[in-house]
Amino acid sequence: MDSDATVPLSERPEWSDVVPLSQDDGPNPVVPIAYKEDFRETMDYFRAIYRSDERSPRALRLTEEALRLNSGNYTVWHFRRLVLEELDHDLFEELKFIESIAKDNSKNYQLWHHRRWVAEKLGPAVAGKELDFTRSILSVDAKHYHAWSHRQWALQALGGWENELDYCHELLEADVFNNSAWNQRYYVITRSPSLGGLKPMRESEVSYTVKAILANPGNESSWRYLKALYKDDTKSWISDPSVSSVCLKVLSRTDCFHGFALSTVLDLLCDGLRPTNEHRDSVKALANEDPETNLANLVCTILCRVDPIRANYWAWRKSKITVAI
Amino acid sequence: MSETAVHGEAVDWESEDEDSDDSEEEEEEYTSPSQPPSSSNFDKDRHLVYLQMMYELLPYHYQSQEINRLTLAHFIISGLHFLGATDRVDKDAVAKWVLSFQAFPSNRALLKKGEFYGFYGSRSSQFPIDENGDLTHNNSHLASTYCALAILKVIGYDLSTIDSESLLLSLKNLQQDDGSFMPIHTGGETDLRFVYCAAAISDMLGDWSGMDKEKAKNYILNCQSYDGGFGLIPGSESHGGGTYCAIASLRLMGFIGADLLSNDTSSSILDPSLLLNWSLQRQASDGGFQGRTNKRSDTCYAFWIGAVLKLIGGDAFIDKVALRQFLLSCQSKYGGFSKFPGALPDLYHSYYGYTAFSFLEEPGLSPLCPELGLPLLTSL
Repeated sequence: MDSDATVPLSERPEWSDVVPLSQDDGPNPVVPIAYKEDFRETMDYFRAIYRSDERSPRALRLTEEALRLNSGNYTVWHFRRLVLEELDHDLFEELKFIESIAKDNSKNYQLWHHRRWVAEKLGPAVAGKELDFTRSILSVDAKHYHAWSHRQWALQALGGWENELDYCHELLEADVFNNSAWNQRYYVITRSPSLGGLKPMRESEVSYTVKAILANPGNESSWRYLKALYKDDTKSWISDPSVSSVCLKVLSRTDCFHGFALSTVLDLLCDGLRPTNEHRDSVKALANEDPETNLANLVCTILCRVDPIRANYWAWRKSKITVAI
Repeated sequence: MSETAVHGEAVDWESEDEDSDDSEEEEEEYTSPSQPPSSSNFDKDRHLVYLQMMYELLPYHYQSQEINRLTLAHFIISGLHFLGATDRVDKDAVAKWVLSFQAFPSNRALLKKGEFYGFYGSRSSQFPIDENGDLTHNNSHLASTYCALAILKVIGYDLSTIDSESLLLSLKNLQQDDGSFMPIHTGGETDLRFVYCAAAISDMLGDWSGMDKEKAKNYILNCQSYDGGFGLIPGSESHGGGTYCAIASLRLMGFIGADLLSNDTSSSILDPSLLLNWSLQRQASDGGFQGRTNKRSDTCYAFWIGAVLKLIGGDAFIDKVALRQFLLSCQSKYGGFSKFPGALPDLYHSYYGYTAFSFLEEPGLSPLCPELGLPLLTSL
């Protein structure tokens, strides 16, 4: 970075040979922007070197200035890559550069695409760095979508799966409502080359998830994850006692939201679960209404009351019930 | 204060205006009920003032989005059209201006070189053609192309008169083996946003020769998450914007119909029941829609998710009264909409606030074309 970065470019001797190229807005421009002078000037100089295709050290520094003003400009990022290649610049230094830009604005696609480009070039040697970098971003915002995408890419491309499930657990300990962390759990158990896939992991994951559900029955993420563990395996879904059991446990409590437990019971019934007396009693206990003989119908009726914002939906679900239970 | 446009570098849900405020807001816990709305009605006049101001001059805060100037123009011009203020826009000037962003190869042989010849997003990196008639730097961008065509369509320009041959021939240069699309041939992230842009462009031009629909469909289906929603890339967390791109694309390409919910699902390429359930569950207790499970409600998802529900036939299940109340609490007294109640308005949330009110059939607003996210024109 130029040490005199606050001095206008036009006053810097280093740039005295360059004629800045102003933006040609053309006749009758629509939605003009009230550019600030420093922005305009920086972009005028960038345009000049971009046009002349100057791939020099000072061009590299200029792209940095331009990116600090506008980290979303994909043209500048692309040109920076061309310059980096031309100069055979130290890409480990570039990782640090990206981290410094990320401090002020980590939520743009261009920055992450650039990071990936650099990491790809450096290869598995930087697997750890990519996990560290995304971890640092996630420590500020544990649901940072770009960071999660990059992390998933890094695991696939560069490796480092060994501690990922533990990392998910760490995040879930901090916030069990973190849906991104639950999503990452699913990613790991289905894609990690060392874990064997969903079925072998099911038992331990069910146990983990049931604990999380019981601690916070109003957490949509954990219920969705539970169901995901039986993806494409309806038979196990309806027959695994752990699933019924967690629903019944939640339904028997008076201190929590019952909506997800009820909708899970509804799904189980529609998928073919034969309800036991325990199922019937648990549901009936929640009914203010006259208990219907069809249990699935009754569940829908209760849901209309317990989850009123979706009352129309539960009424429609009721109308669609074909199971005679 | 920097906001970000949706399209252009496109569909930037995950940039500052979406979740960044979360980290700031965490310090002041969002426990208070939403502030009383600036009005209990959709304040059309104030929105017109806001858009008119933006149309004349965008304040310097938008300079950091200037690479996507066409996107900002789209929000303003299409926004004015939602509000029925079509007379405020000089259609000829706008058409001429938009068309001036179109890139052309000097000869057809160049089309084989892998570049995309679409529309630039702004003047900032557009240079005059050289002595040979070649573009010195071709920065045609897929999302800018969508915005360009959207603006033209909205102002009533006959898209069939556009010279779209090189556009369509070169569009496939951006499609990847896995069916996804890059936004620009010099390289960029590939995800569902650009599949959507490609599909919308093809639909607006009435020509599907520029993309492999089957491959695109497969990529889309690979983006469906275990909970029924769609992430932006395979494996990623289900997300309102990703789900919109997925469903709108499938609809535009003709893979799903309006009857998705009512028909026998075994014949459909996707099981809509979990998608329906996930989408509806995105409506939070404050009436607004969240972009992801357990995240805060945000104005724009009223459109992204609302449109999904409309497209799959489930919008009757939304609590529209509660949604309207939430949206009104995000209505700014300066005109426009903000992301959350009490925040400052920005063009992106304003535009999607207007589309959301159109979706809610607010009187005086143009009806909505959900799969394109544009005002439906009563005549072309």
